[in-house]
Amino acid sequence: MMRWYEQADAERPAVIGSRVRLVRNWDEYVFPTRLTPEDGAAMLGRLKRALRELGEVDGRDYEYLELETLGDLERKALGERRVINSAIASKKTPTGLLVSENEDTSIVLNGTDHIRIQMLDTGLRLRELWNRADRVDDFIGGKISYAFDEKYGYLTTFPTNMGTGLRASVLLHLPSLSMGRKFNGMVTEMSRFGATVKGVYGEGSENYGALYTVSNQKTLGISEREILDLVTKVALQLSNQEEKVRHMALEKHRLEWEDEAYKSYGVLKYARRLSRKDAMTFLSQLMLGLREGLMQTRQPCSVYSLMLGIQPANLQKNSDRPLDKEELDMARAAYLRAELPELK
Amino acid sequence: MICERCKIREANIQYTEIVNGVKTEHHFCAQCARELDFGPYSAIFDGDFPLGKLLSGLLGIGETPEEEDTASQVVCPTCGLSYEEFVKNSWFGCPDCYGVFDLLISDKIKQLQGSESHKGKRPAKIRYEAEKKASAGAAAGAHPEEEAKGARSQETAREELRVLQARLHEALKREEYETAAWCRDRMKELREEIGE
Repeated sequence: MMRWYEQADAERPAVIGSRVRLVRNWDEYVFPTRLTPEDGAAMLGRLKRALRELGEVDGRDYEYLELETLGDLERKALGERRVINSAIASKKTPTGLLVSENEDTSIVLNGTDHIRIQMLDTGLRLRELWNRADRVDDFIGGKISYAFDEKYGYLTTFPTNMGTGLRASVLLHLPSLSMGRKFNGMVTEMSRFGATVKGVYGEGSENYGALYTVSNQKTLGISEREILDLVTKVALQLSNQEEKVRHMALEKHRLEWEDEAYKSYGVLKYARRLSRKDAMTFLSQLMLGLREGLMQTRQPCSVYSLMLGIQPANLQKNSDRPLDKEELDMARAAYLRAELPELK
Repeated sequence: MICERCKIREANIQYTEIVNGVKTEHHFCAQCARELDFGPYSAIFDGDFPLGKLLSGLLGIGETPEEEDTASQVVCPTCGLSYEEFVKNSWFGCPDCYGVFDLLISDKIKQLQGSESHKGKRPAKIRYEAEKKASAGAAAGAHPEEEAKGARSQETAREELRVLQARLHEALKREEYETAAWCRDRMKELREEIGE
C-alpha cells in the first residue's frame, strides 16, 4: 500500500501536507512522566482492549506496535517519517503505537501523554483531518474518562498543550519566499497572529530544503475551529506569497530556473555520494521545477517522499550493518538513483 | 541593524535595561547575546534553546525569595510532584496538579497561553451529563442517584469556594480589583447554588 506522502499533490504548488494532533489523558492515571512502568503497562493493556474496534469506527486497518521492543533505528525511522515525535522515539518505558497501513493516522499510547492522536494528509486539509480526529476522539472518550477541567480544558502533561490539546500544522515549501529579505519580518508578523512558522531541516539559522511548518501557538482560550481557521489562513497567505514571487521570478528568469532544476536532477540521478544537506538542497530545486511544470517525469514523483527516504535512519534501515558517514552518503546517492523516475 | 558588539552580523535581539530609572537600549546578534551575561535570562540564548528553560523562566515565581520558598514546597498529593519540580521541568505530573497549583500558575498560564479559560470541545460524556442534569432538574422528585451526585457537586462547590476565597485574598493583596470582583461574584453565585 502507498504511504500517504507518496501521492503527488498538485493543488497548490507550495503546500505539501497538513497535520492535526490531539493529546488526551485518562483521569484514572497520573501522567506518563510520573507513571511507574508497571502501572504504565497495566494502563496500556486496558487502552489496547478499549480501542479494539477503532478500525471499524475509522474505516482503517491498524497495526499495534510496542515501541519499546522495536530497535532504536526503527524508532528513529518512524520519527523521521513523522509517525511519532522525537521525544517518543527516544522513550524507554512501555509505549504503544497504533498505526494505519498508509501511516496517515497514528495513535501513541503512554507517550508523553496517555493518548496522542495524529492525522496527516497531502494538501491543505485541516478541516477534513479535524473532523476525523474529532470522531476518533469521541470514540475513545466513550471508552475511557478523559482528564478534563471546565477552566483549563483537556489536561495535558505540558502547559503548552492544555485546553484543546490541538496542534494543527501545514507543511509548506517556500524556496523563493524564504530567500527574500522580508521573510524574517513576515515570520515575526505571523507570530503576532498566534501562528508559529518553523524551518523543518537544518540547524540554527540554516534551513536546507526550504520546508517550513505553520502551526498554532496557543491551545487555551481558542476553540478548535478558530485554530483551524487561523493556521489555514496563515498557510494560505504564505503559499500565495510564495506563488506570487515564483511567478514574478519565472517571467524574468525562466532559463535560469530551468537550468537549476535540470542540473539538480542531474546531480541527484547520477551522483555517487550525497550529503544530507546537498541532497535536500537539490531535491528542493527539483520540487520547484516539477511543481512549476519546468520539467516532467515519466511516472508521478513525490519529492517529499524522497526527502523522507534520504534521512539517515530510513537509509540505514535498508542495510544489514551499521553505516558510517561516508557509506551513508553513498547509500543516499544509490537510493536516489534507484527511486528517481526518468524525465520525459 | 548591525550587532553593536561584533559589528558584523545582523542584530536580532533588542535588550532594554532600566537601572534606577535610566533606560538604555542595546542591539545584539544571537551569537553575541549568548556570550554576554544576561543573568536569569541567559538560558534563552543557550545554543539548543530548550523550551523547558524558557517556560521555567516564564513560569518561574518568586518576586521575593521568601515567596518562592513557600510556593516551591507545595506538593501534589496524588503524584508527589512539587511546585519547584513543575517550574524546573515545565510539565505536570497528573490531572490533579492543575487544581493543586491553580492559584500559583493561573497568572503564568495567562502569560503563556494568552488566556486562562478553555473554549471549545468538551468530552462527550460531560456534554451528555450536563444535558441529563438540566433535564433532571426540570423534572420533579430527584432520583437517589442524582441526590448522591448533588451531594458530590455540593462538595466540589465548597472546594471551589475555598479556592476562590484564596484567590480573592491574593488579588486584593496585589491590588487586582477586577479579578477580586470576579471572585466575589462567583462566590456569591456558588453560595446561592448550594443554599448557604
